[in-house]
Amino acid sequence: MAFQSRKKFCYFKENGITDVDYKDVKLLRRFVTDQGKIMPRRVTGTSAKMHRKLVRAIKQARNIALMPYTNTSTES
Amino acid sequence: MRYYESLYIVNPNYEQDRLDEVMKMVVDKMDEYGFSVINHRVWGKKRLAYSIQKHKYGSFILLQYEAELAENLDRFERFMVLQKPILRNQTVVLDARPEVHVEEEPVSEEKKDNEDPSEDKPQEEAVAESAETTEESVEDTAETEETEATSDEAPSEESQVDDSETDEAEPAEEAEVEATEEQTEEVQE
Repeated sequence: MAFQSRKKFCYFKENGITDVDYKDVKLLRRFVTDQGKIMPRRVTGTSAKMHRKLVRAIKQARNIALMPYTNTSTES
Repeated sequence: MRYYESLYIVNPNYEQDRLDEVMKMVVDKMDEYGFSVINHRVWGKKRLAYSIQKHKYGSFILLQYEAELAENLDRFERFMVLQKPILRNQTVVLDARPEVHVEEEPVSEEKKDNEDPSEDKPQEEAVAESAETTEESVEDTAETEETEATSDEAPSEESQVDDSETDEAEPAEEAEVEATEEQTEEVQE
């Protein structure tokens, strides 16, 4: 009678993506909370290898102002 | 020999002419340092995720190049930081040689020019099609209504017929019943 959790899967493996581009903001937004925080691997199910690439890409996108560091309601 | 990609943000208030000047200045500096440019194109004016020097928007320019000496990269970085029109820049190492995008750019612009009227047409066609579909749907609904109306009428007629038939049939049955009753009475007598 235990609850069955939905099976997690790596988005990148599923779609055959091997590299994460920091300019692809639409993709990166999937792995970021509304606040702009990077979602943990245990939530997204991303593989360790791709998560490292993802984190790097998100941080690069933040540096060049494509993505926010924080997204608080007072700022905008 | 390594490949690099620099994305830099130029002041959004700069028009195309001044933007070209900035790009030319960057290219001149790259020639000085011995970098060979592969791609250098305007990526577009975008809204910044956070304001930089009180600018909410920025003109993004993508620069992909090939460099032999990494020392010059630091100098180039320093040069970019010191430029006033450039709000922010970021250099990233590429794994492989990037595809040349410069040749596609004018084609894409022409395509855009060609697409603009063609895009309008499909929209009009789509609107026309949608109108047709709506008309068709209206017709369909009308037809269905008609059929429904006929179907409504038909059963009523049939029911009437049935009623008349039953009316006719019932007296006959009654008559038969009466006849049988008479026969039984006669038999009893």
